Amino acid sequence: MSKSIIEIQDLHKQFGNVEVLKGIDLVVKESEKVVILGPSGSGKSTLLRCINYLEYPTQGSVKINGNAFEDKNRKNQEKHIALLRTEVGMVFQKFNLFHHLTALGNVMAALVTIKGLSKVEAKQIAEFNLEKVGLLEKAKNYPSQLSGGQQQRVAIARALAMDPKVMLFDESTSALDPELVGEVLRVIRGLAEDGMTMVLVTHEMKFAKDVADRIVFMDNGVIVEDSPPEVFFNNPSTERAKQFIMQEDY
Amino acid sequence: MTIHFGRAFSELAPSLFDALKTVTLLAILAFALALMIGMLIAVGRISGNKILDRFLIVLLEIIRGTPLLVQLLYVYYVVPELISFVVSFFVPDFHMNFGAFEAGVIGLGINYGCYMSEIFRSSILAIDKGQNEAALALGYTKHQALRKIIFPQSIRISLPALGNYLVMLLKDTSLCAFITLGEIILTTQSYAAQTFLTIESYTIAALVYLVACIPLGYLVRVLERRVTKYV
Repeated sequence: MSKSIIEIQDLHKQFGNVEVLKGIDLVVKESEKVVILGPSGSGKSTLLRCINYLEYPTQGSVKINGNAFEDKNRKNQEKHIALLRTEVGMVFQKFNLFHHLTALGNVMAALVTIKGLSKVEAKQIAEFNLEKVGLLEKAKNYPSQLSGGQQQRVAIARALAMDPKVMLFDESTSALDPELVGEVLRVIRGLAEDGMTMVLVTHEMKFAKDVADRIVFMDNGVIVEDSPPEVFFNNPSTERAKQFIMQEDY
Repeated sequence: MTIHFGRAFSELAPSLFDALKTVTLLAILAFALALMIGMLIAVGRISGNKILDRFLIVLLEIIRGTPLLVQLLYVYYVVPELISFVVSFFVPDFHMNFGAFEAGVIGLGINYGCYMSEIFRSSILAIDKGQNEAALALGYTKHQALRKIIFPQSIRISLPALGNYLVMLLKDTSLCAFITLGEIILTTQSYAAQTFLTIESYTIAALVYLVACIPLGYLVRVLERRVTKYV
């Protein structure tokens, strides 16, 4: 039996008076690909952002590779959270490349600042990962000189370079022109084939169906269904999921 | 009445050149101090510490609500008296003074630091939140993200405004004439009073400021071009 990379227990998240997540339990095993689906406002992105503590949960616990983010007895909480985040790669909807650094600089930055590698080592790792996403020849370009698809691939390389245990994709193709979606999905698919553990929030239904081991369907802050894609798409057990699949014309 | 520019220039220029050296050094030191103070205030205000924020707002209001000239006079005449007064309780016969130059650096530095802090603060807040989130997600602490990711980008935004402040600071050194600093105005004033060459003296003084400020504007534009190469 493979080990659990992410363990989420009774996760609640409240923004003001609005409870966005209402008790989520979710375990993601090593090299599993989990796609989170659901209507907008169902809490998918919030759940994803709680996994690396970009949002602090109101209640409940998140463990990465057996390490809990929060522990009341721990003294330097911020440092610990930062350290644990290095094991979770995240790719955003809006790429969020560092505008003042080149593609290479973006991938190197955290290797030098956070992992403490020398520039030479960091450069090697960065080039290796840029090569992986097919953008080594763009290493010297600034984000403003790259297309959306290229920027997102650099963002993936940047996350990969930290050698994370799991990758989170937060609607990583939603901000792209339709003709650029393919190149990013190809890179993500490649990662999936390499056995990377992944949690994806996406609207690309066909892609979800192809890549996912499990579809987690959320509605109104809770997980409504958690089943393999064949089951989810062909024979969903809840009415809500049926409606959702009907609406999404994939 | 005849105009004697040639004579006024040849007699006034050497002492004005010395005064310009003083003023340039004063402006550079005061600007460096203002950069430090401005950064510290900006970081303090966005740190999320409410008490610190309130305290800094009060400081800003005091500096903004009083004339720079009054502040310079205060630093030069009042602050040393106050310090002497307090310390003399512990050390009898203690007395301290600021030189006019030191008082100028401190007064201009604090005043401009307060104004510049608002530039730093707004340019930090102008950076997309996603930049910070991407850094945090990679394992940066808040402090590291601010220093390594946010600051370098915000500098680009604040640079044009900072350039303006540098030019203004250079000109505001003229207020140091009131605290006996032998700068351009004081030098001009005493020459004009001795020779009655009023038109010539003050025109030359104005030209000295103009000539000093034009290269600064150029310098700022060059710097801007260098830091915006990735836009």
